[in-house]
Order: sequence, then C-alpha cells, then structure tokens
Amino acid sequence: MSFLAPLFFVGLATLAIPVLVHLVQRERKRVVEFPSLMFVQRIPYKSVRRRRIRHWFLLALRAAAIAAIIAAFARPFLPRGAGAIAAAGGSREIVILLDRSASMGFGDHFERARAAAIDVVRSMSASDKATLVTFGRNAEERLRSSSDRGRLEAAIGSVTPSASATRYGPALKLAESVLGRSTLPRHEIVLISDFQKSGWSGAEDVRLGEQVRLTPVSVATERAINLSVPQVTFARATFSGQERVTVTAGVANRSGEAASDVPVSLEIEGHEIEGKRASVAPNASTSVTFAPFTLAEPTMRGAVKVGTDKLTADNQFTFVVTPETPLAVLVVDNGDQADASFYLKKALGIGASPAFQVETVPAARVSPAMLEKRSVVILNDTMLPPGLAGSALNDFVERGGGLLIATGDKTAWPASEGSLLPGALGAPVDRLSGRGGTLGYLDYSHPAFEVFKAPRSGDFSAARVLRYRTIEVTPTDRVLARFDDGAVAAAERRLGNGRVVLFGTTLDDSWTDLALKPVYLPLIHQLVKYLAQYEAAAAWRTVDSVVDVSAWLKGRADRVVLTPSGERRTLSASEPGLLELTELGVYEIRSAANTAARPDRIAVNLDPAESDLTTLDPTELVAAVTGRAAVASGAADAAVEVPAEEAERQQSLWWYLLIAGLLLLAAELAISNRLSRTERFL
Amino acid sequence: MSQPIPGARFVDPQVLARIGNLDLIARAVVDGFINGLHRAPFFGASIDFAEHRGYVAGDDIRRVDWRLYARTDRYYVKQYEADTNTNFTILFDISRSMSFTSGGVTKLEYGAFLGACLAYMAQRQRDRIGIVTFDSDIVSHVPASAKHFNQVLHTMDRAKAERPGHLSEPLHKMAEHFKRRGILLLISDFYDDPTAVLEAIKPLKFLGNDLIVFHVLDPQEINFDYQEASTFEDLENGEQVPVVPDSFRQQYRQLVQEHINALRSRFSEQRIDYALLNTAEPLDRALFTYLSSRERLIRVR
Repeated sequence: MSFLAPLFFVGLATLAIPVLVHLVQRERKRVVEFPSLMFVQRIPYKSVRRRRIRHWFLLALRAAAIAAIIAAFARPFLPRGAGAIAAAGGSREIVILLDRSASMGFGDHFERARAAAIDVVRSMSASDKATLVTFGRNAEERLRSSSDRGRLEAAIGSVTPSASATRYGPALKLAESVLGRSTLPRHEIVLISDFQKSGWSGAEDVRLGEQVRLTPVSVATERAINLSVPQVTFARATFSGQERVTVTAGVANRSGEAASDVPVSLEIEGHEIEGKRASVAPNASTSVTFAPFTLAEPTMRGAVKVGTDKLTADNQFTFVVTPETPLAVLVVDNGDQADASFYLKKALGIGASPAFQVETVPAARVSPAMLEKRSVVILNDTMLPPGLAGSALNDFVERGGGLLIATGDKTAWPASEGSLLPGALGAPVDRLSGRGGTLGYLDYSHPAFEVFKAPRSGDFSAARVLRYRTIEVTPTDRVLARFDDGAVAAAERRLGNGRVVLFGTTLDDSWTDLALKPVYLPLIHQLVKYLAQYEAAAAWRTVDSVVDVSAWLKGRADRVVLTPSGERRTLSASEPGLLELTELGVYEIRSAANTAARPDRIAVNLDPAESDLTTLDPTELVAAVTGRAAVASGAADAAVEVPAEEAERQQSLWWYLLIAGLLLLAAELAISNRLSRTERFL
Repeated sequence: MSQPIPGARFVDPQVLARIGNLDLIARAVVDGFINGLHRAPFFGASIDFAEHRGYVAGDDIRRVDWRLYARTDRYYVKQYEADTNTNFTILFDISRSMSFTSGGVTKLEYGAFLGACLAYMAQRQRDRIGIVTFDSDIVSHVPASAKHFNQVLHTMDRAKAERPGHLSEPLHKMAEHFKRRGILLLISDFYDDPTAVLEAIKPLKFLGNDLIVFHVLDPQEINFDYQEASTFEDLENGEQVPVVPDSFRQQYRQLVQEHINALRSRFSEQRIDYALLNTAEPLDRALFTYLSSRERLIRVR
C-alpha cells in the first residue's frame, strides 16, 4: 500500500479527539466556580473515575472513523505487479543504454551496470519489448526489440567494457530512433552509466519526445581515486650519429587525495629501462623526465606506467618513436639550364619536419631505379621521361607515389600516357595585358590548400601569371585552382594509390612571379607532402581514431594488421586501408608479401577525458534531454512502474475509505446517544 | 436557618446587602444588638498609672505631677499604661475565594458587614480603628485612628476579591508593622492547612495583640449540596476538576468539618478567639454568638 499524499497522516494526531471526548467533553458542559478545591482534590475516588475509559468500543469506533477519513485524504493505492501495470498502461518498448566506455572498467562498475540491466529485463511483462544498446564514443545496437528475456540477458552478459570514451549523445539518438520505429504505446529509455561529466557537453542536440520516459541508473563511485598518464613528450638529440630521445611523462591525479611516492617506470620494447617515484597533489599533475635512450631502430615501442588503481586502462601510456626520415624528392627538369629548378630546390631545401632529400636529374637520364625509394617526383617543365622510365613512372604513382607536373614551354606529353595526366594540356595562353592574370580560386577544402584557408594565411592574389597552359579536365579529375579568367590552374588525378597534380604554369619565374612570393615555399611544401601522402609520425593516437594504413605500406600486397589483443586482420590492397583503432596498446602493420620485415606500429591510448571520473548529476541530463525532471533515479524497478497519480486515480480507494469513515461516525453517534440516555454520567 | 433570639432584632444579611451603606448597616445591627444585651463587653479600656518620667519641653503641663514636684523639686510627668483607648484593626482577607456566594451575599460582603459592625462598636467606645486588606500581599492599609472610622468603612466597601490569596506573607508583613499592642480582627475563609494558618498568625499573637479570628464560609462550602456532575473551577488558581457531587458529598463534608475542628483547636491552644460564621446566618446573631462566647472566655481568663 502506498500513498499519494502521506503528509495527511499528520492528521492522525486528531485520534486524541475521541479520547478527549470520552474524558473531558461531558464533564465540561457546566463549570461551577468554587472557592477552593483543596478538599475536593483530596478525594481519591474522582481521580480514578475521570481517567477511566468505560466504553472502549465507542472509543475504537471514533478512532477508526477518523483514521479512515485521514487515510482517504492520503490517497492510497496498491502498487501492483509488472503484468498488471502493463495491462493498465499498455506494453512498453524499452531501450536499455548500457555504458561500456573505458571508465566503466573502474572497480565493479560494469558488473553493477550489467546487474541493473538484467533487473530491467526481469521487470518486463510478456508484452514488453526491449532493445539493448551499448555505447562508448559510438552507440551499437546489440539486440533489437526483443521480448525474449533469455536472449536479452545473454546479450547483456556478453557485453564487456571497451577502451572507448563516453558520449551520451549518439546513444540517446539511437534510442530515439529505435523508439520511433516502435508501435508499442509506452516508450522508455533506461540509461545505465557512471555518468561521466566529460560525456555530456550540453550541445548534443538530443531532445526526446514527450511520451518517452528516461530513467537514469547511476553506478558511479563517489570520490573515486584515479592516476593516469595523459601524455608524453619527446626531446630528440643527435649523439655520435644516432638519435637519442628523452621522454617526459605527465602524471595526473584526478582525486581529492594526494598520491605520494607513486612508482613511474619507462619501458622500451618491453624492457623496463628506468623506474622513478613521484608525488602528485590532489587534482593536480606533475611531470617525470627519464634518462635519454638511443633510437636504434625505427618504430620502437615504449610505455610509461604509473601506480595502480581501480581503473587500470589509463595507468599505462604507450608510444612509438621512430628516427626522423627525410622525404625523398626527385626533381626532373629539361636539363638545358643549370638552374632550371633553382626555386624548387631552394624551397625544398628549407624545412625539418619533414626534411626533404632533393635530387635533380634531366628527363633524359631518368631510369626506373631512380624512382625507387622516392616519395615524390616533380616534372618541372619537361617532357615525360622517355623509355622505360615513363612507364615506370606510371607504376610508381599506382604504388602510392606522388607526381607533380609543372607545365611550361617544354612540357610535352604523349597521348599514350594520357592516363597519368589530370586532363588534357592545351596551348599556352598569354595574360600580358594589364598586370597579368592571378590565381582567382583555390579549393581550400583540399588537404594541400587547407592551411591557406584562414585569413592572412597566404596571399595567392599577389602573384602575377603572364602565361599558362590550358587544362581540360575530365569529370573524374578534381580542380584545385583556377585563374582569375576561370581557366584551370591546377588539377588532381588519383591513380592507384598515388596522386598526380598538374600545375598550369611554371614553378620558376619564367611565366609567373609566384616563385618570388612568400606563399611559394609553403605551397611547394604542402603539395609535396600531400603527394607523398606524408603524415607526421604520430607517437600515439587516441582510441576510436581511424588511420589510413595505405600511407604506411606502398605496394600492391595486402596488409596484415596485428591488434594489441593478438587478432590478425588482413586488409586488401584494393581497399582504401582504413583501420579503426579500438584497442589500447600497439597495432602492428605488415605487408602480406613480406611478413619478415619490421612492421609499422601505431600506439593507441585512452582518451584523456576518460580518466576524469567526475560525475554528472543524472537528473540534469534527464532534464536536458526530456525537458522535465527525472522521475526516478538509482532503482531500475521504479522505472517500470505506472505513475503513482495514475495508479491512485484508477483504483480510487479513497472513496471507499471515506464512506467507511462516515458510516463509522454514524454508528458511533447512534451508540453514544443510546448510552448517554441510559447513563446519567458518562 | 436563623433562629430568633429573645430581645434581639436579627437582621438577615440579604436584607442588609440592599442597604448598600456600611455605616447604616453597622448602626442597624449594632444598635439593635446592644439594646438586647444586659452588659456591653468593653474591651481594651485601661487608664492605670504606669510610671513617671522626666518632663521635657513640649509636655502638657497639666500632666506634671505637682505633688512629686513638691517633694523632689523636680518636674515629672505621669505615664499611664494606656494613654488612650486601644487600637482596633481589622485584617480583612479579600482573596478571590472570598467572592464566592451560593446565592445570597458573598463572603466578602458578609465580612465587610461584620467588620463594619465591630468597627462601629469600637468607635462607640472610642477605640482607634484601622484596617488592612490583603490577598497574597497587603492591598490597602488604613492606620488605626479615632478619626478613621469612615475611611475604614470606605476601604471595606471598595474592596474587591480579585486575586488569589495566601495568608502567611501578608501576615508576616503585618507582624512587622504592628509594634503597638491592640485588638486584631482577622476575617478570612482560611483555605489553607491549619498548621500553616497558625504559623502565619503566631507572630501577631506574640506581639501581645488580642487576636480575634472570624472564619467566614458559605453554606455550600460547608454542606456541598450540589446535584449535577460538573466541572468545578478553583476560584483561586483556576484549576478545573470534574466532580460528581453525589459521590463526593459525604467525604467533602467530613473533610471540611475536620478542617474547622483543626482550626478551632489550634486557635484555642494559642488562646486566639475563633468564630465560624455562616453567611446565611443573620449578622447580629453571629455577633451575639461571638461576643457571648468572648464574654465567657474573659470571665474565665
């Protein structure tokens, strides 16, 4: 039995009224003033008489009447079983959102979350249906709209915590779409999570419908202690021709208690090379610098480990360090002038990250061997290398190499190799009138030009173009830039795994003064890096990020990826080679053709925000998503009950109690009148 | 209730209450009363010689003992045991319980009649008259004087029983005040423990005062002839008690009688005159009863 307005039970104090009626009322009818009750009070008989209740039955009647009336005002109702509730309010479509982010690995959070989910399943009636959605950064529908409790429980039992970060938005949106497809009358979402504050920014633009009921179930631990390594930095130095790296690791303490004398160790290739101890103040961080070590090999695997706590995922930070290697660029020119590629060489001679290793050869002397181990080939106002080199260039591009073609007077391209050229080259066009032509349009969405997108990030309009070659692009080619008269200034074609960019004018000062402008150097660097598919070697990546493996291995062979958990995955050479990093640790990538070669490696770490276990008030999230306050929190059972007002309205027990109270009062009136006639003094 | 006594004109208190003037009441009662007596009891009258003392400037030269001067050649003045008639002071309890009446006059009115009558009698024999009214404290005080008869009557007429009373504190204060011996007339309903009452009165007696106690009670206080079960409220402290009179009456009467007997015996032990007065009885009858007994006592003494 529950009550809608239990405060009315304060009125039970009025039960004293019948007692007072019994003891006082009849004797108070007439008050006689008397000089002194000195003698009256000495008579013991009256004391006993006035305090004795002679009609218990009458008293009980009066008390029962008042109690019944008060209970009626308290609006009682009977909380029924799940089946009855479902029958009363209709079947439910429940979406169970189970958080499996990395932070759920803290202590027993995930076990409790699974238990809460199973409780929800067990509270379902036969006509209810439930969908299991697990989520971290992304949401995944594990079992759709099933009323089979066994399957649901098995699905819940198979869920394990992931290494992913927490994001509530995708999960809630998926739940909304699931409920949108449901035909059942009642829609409910049960969100089981540790409610990390970092998972909700407030800008997710999630708004559940009026009829959807969201119940948060929190498994968070108050004042959780967590140590983590959010990042490491490297200081490189060259010593005796070898590169040495000094690792500095940050150690964060996200708790209200100081962590003192915590062990911090550095491992390289699985061997601990140095151990230190650190103390971190509450809610603060510190840094630990280790002694330098020599980078003997490429892609050396390392890890920094700190202390132990209930969330072990962020106690280790892995990384991969590689000696810096320059990008090899082959500049092919006509060879008739000594400094035909003067500007290109000067531009590529500047820069350290990456450094460019430039070699210049005349087109006639290019051999297929020269193309090996080159990242980019630049044809600087020259013809296609004759002979085998020309066809080798085609292979070079298809394997993943980059080709930049700067056109000029001497540029000649045989029709047989037209597939390599983005578009067809036309005759030169003079722009001698006025101050010449300019670059009027650049595709800033292109990776090569993205850095120039922001204001004051490169003024291409300052360069004058006095002559250019027309380019007629095919629909499959991408126009990267146009002159101010609308003619194509640069176009790109993808060929195999490689890229070809055709530039409509020269890269020296013969047709344009672009080479004399400040924007020239970054433009050349950006084009070469893009064509080389250069990506700064990241020492680590955060979990859930996606990498294009094709940049690592250039070749036609399939790629074999070995995940940190030991799973072997083969990526076909014909596919783009995208790899989603879902596990913590080090991924190894090899070419299927040469498994003995040293693999490329990718270190994957937890999202640093996931280490922050600060909790969000679940009611805030509910209010933000539903626009109304949370109905219940903490108890999954409460989530499946019919609203108390509705249950009370349907049962209307108060009506019967009120009638019973009035009948009791009438009976009391009749009995007391009869008694008062038969007795002189009550 | 009143029984006619031959030779006396008894006046019903309810008739007296209609007069509304204590002076007239006193005259009516006392004159009739004295006419009916063979011998008036004069109390406090004494002019016996006590001693000589040296003449000081301002002494009336008529009181110089010339005979002694002739013998000693010095001026001496005669001192008497009582220079004038005695002080007659009424101690009138005006506590709230005195306002009680079961139909006729209140105890307060009856006490006022009684005090007025005795004051009138004292005035006629040239005693000095004073009054102290009290409840839990002294309310008003008129010092004893031969000229204060009217003021005494006025004080009694004006007295209202409004506050709860208590004997001991005001009587202790009075004991400190009455340095001169005299006749003290205490009128009260004595709703207190007899021992406590006596303890309160004793200091007055120790000063050598002649103490006369009138215990004034309403007939209902003595007989408790109520019929219906009611809530009885104490006039003094407001306390209420449900009472079924039928079952209470016998024990109540017994307790009241024991109280009266206790007071009577305790006062007798201390040689204090005690008289129980019922407000239903005529006033002169009460006076007659008391003065007759007092006369008898004086003879015995």
